Amino acid sequence: MSVAEQIPAAPAAAASAATQAEATPPRPTPRGAGQVPRAAPDTDTARRPWPRLLDRGGKAVLWALVLALCVTPILLVMAISLGQSVEGSAWEWSLTLRNYQRFFVGSNWPADPTFLYLNQLYWSLRYATIASVLAVATALPFTYLMTRLSRAAQACWLVFILASLALSEVFIVMGWDILLSNNSGLPRLFLVTGLTDWLKETGWFDVLREWGLANPRNVRFKTSELATVLTMSYLVWPYAVILLYPALSRLDPALSEAARTMGAGSWTVARTVILPAVRLPLIGSTFLLFVFLLGTYVAVTVFADPSRQTTAISIYDHVRGANLDAPFGAAQAVILLVTATLFLTLGHFLTRRGSEGRA
Amino acid sequence: MALINRRNLLKTGASVAGLAAASSVIGTPLIAQQRSLRVGSYGGYFENSFIEHVFPAFTEATGITIESVTQPNSADWLVTMQQATAAGAVPTDLSLYARDTLIRASRMGGLIRPLDMSGIPNASNMDSYFVFEADEGVLGVGAMSWFSSMVVNTDEVAAPESWAEFWDSDLYEASLGISRQFNSHFLDIVAATFFDGAETLDSEEGILAVIEKASEIRPNVALWWSAESQMEQSLKNGDVIGGQYYLDVTMLMAADGYPVGAVFPREGNPQDYGSWCLSALSDKTEEAAEFINFTSDPVNQALMSRMIGTAPLVPVGSTDLSEEEFAAVSGTPAIRPAYEAYLDRGTFIQENWDRMLAGL
Repeated sequence: MSVAEQIPAAPAAAASAATQAEATPPRPTPRGAGQVPRAAPDTDTARRPWPRLLDRGGKAVLWALVLALCVTPILLVMAISLGQSVEGSAWEWSLTLRNYQRFFVGSNWPADPTFLYLNQLYWSLRYATIASVLAVATALPFTYLMTRLSRAAQACWLVFILASLALSEVFIVMGWDILLSNNSGLPRLFLVTGLTDWLKETGWFDVLREWGLANPRNVRFKTSELATVLTMSYLVWPYAVILLYPALSRLDPALSEAARTMGAGSWTVARTVILPAVRLPLIGSTFLLFVFLLGTYVAVTVFADPSRQTTAISIYDHVRGANLDAPFGAAQAVILLVTATLFLTLGHFLTRRGSEGRA
Repeated sequence: MALINRRNLLKTGASVAGLAAASSVIGTPLIAQQRSLRVGSYGGYFENSFIEHVFPAFTEATGITIESVTQPNSADWLVTMQQATAAGAVPTDLSLYARDTLIRASRMGGLIRPLDMSGIPNASNMDSYFVFEADEGVLGVGAMSWFSSMVVNTDEVAAPESWAEFWDSDLYEASLGISRQFNSHFLDIVAATFFDGAETLDSEEGILAVIEKASEIRPNVALWWSAESQMEQSLKNGDVIGGQYYLDVTMLMAADGYPVGAVFPREGNPQDYGSWCLSALSDKTEEAAEFINFTSDPVNQALMSRMIGTAPLVPVGSTDLSEEEFAAVSGTPAIRPAYEAYLDRGTFIQENWDRMLAGL
């Protein structure tokens, strides 16, 4: 029996109800047609024709915007993905599934099949998974401790974190690039502190060389999976904090205190009280960041070896690269989109099951 | 009410249009006297040097003013020009296309207007290779050229005599920077060093053999760079001690005191060049011919070499470049890239090159 279950149920249920109420404020009744009783519209229209017309116009504009900005580009990408490139020239519209076939078995199937593009998708998923889990896992204790601070201190931290979102991906990658460079970064530190020599004496240097983390002269951190994943999780870390903050700040301190008075250590409190209470935001944030990271471009081009590069890079190479093969680029984009949708659906399913379980 | 409003609106609109028309009529005679030409060039330092040194000299010589248009590069620009041509209004008269893009544009058709060669007598100074002729006529005349060169960190290693030395893991383990794009001439280097040059890339077997040889260098490559700045930083930071990089930028870095040097090994370095091409929708045939004739003049080829760092397309003997000045922008031998192979078997080369990089 966990500590959470030993706590009298009533306060917990009340807290949960309060949370629910906060999460779903009473919705103002929309003035749309369906919501108003049948008899009302006529009198309503007769008395006030303008608001109703504006309302209809507003809806039409909204729909037009959604169509123009969201649906049309996606449809266009899907249509292009059915086209075919003409070797040494441009591409042309067509209705072929060859680009999708190429994604799974390569362009020279069946003579010489290759899983090159599936391999790239694998690296997309791998980086996004590790980096999003890492970001959420490290942001959780930070955010929890932050919510225990005074209101003013919390505000300062939040402003700082929000401000750091203004840094572009290019800027962040540049910073990490310098941090990990031979003459200006970590490897230089290894050299001047004698760490490199010590590694060479103890034989660890050869192990690092085998792992690709050293050249004959010094250690090297780029290109490596370590640098790629670290930079990617750094990129989304502020988002993780902001996504977790509402749930953690609503957490009733009385719950942890009650558990503590019953003799639970801090680790037990974290495991049995805090974690279960924020399980849903945790899963939700991880999935959101995961999908966000699927399309990372700059960090991967700079820090990942070409043998470990991702679908996003390949899309750009095909659309804008020398071959101008937009149809294959579009097909890869559609597959990445489908992958992201699958994972979001999975995430939705998991959180829904989680919330049903809690209720 | 609404009708009146609309009529008012129409009246206002008409008077505004009238005013605009009047002002354009007033302005026209002035503009007509001033002949002008829109010229595209790659942005940044390159374009600035053009605006500062080349365009003013041309305007002084001919009275034709130049409006500079920034092109990101040639492959992307072709897509822009293709869409602009379809839409009926192009952003520039002359574009700068690398040879592979030029061949692609000529195959696509309808994008480039043949040049009036009677207005460009200076083109005869160039090797005919740099004057691109298709069925409909001359589509491009060489503007300037650049080398993708072997570079080394002069503090760490002696200048290699052959590209083959880069395959030596005792010296270069995890230490080289090579371009990641399949068509940025590393395959041409491998073909020239270990095979029969460009003709090896004419068959699929040849391409696979060259790519297999290229794959043997992978343990020595610390950086497969895709953006120029990546390689520049890595050379400066000591992350790589050698590799393949642009000759002009290497020379600039060396002039700034960095321990880097460009090397012309036994096999040479790949030479690429840009051509001036006139848009199919442009009616500035005469002005374009005058501009191209100007840049084809050995005097101006030398001007570009000094100010922009590009290699001249005319024999060095016909220019007044000193031996030192020429060595800073060019060298021998030059490896000519297998452009046709990259175009005709683009998908095949790209996919197998990517597989090589991925180790699959």
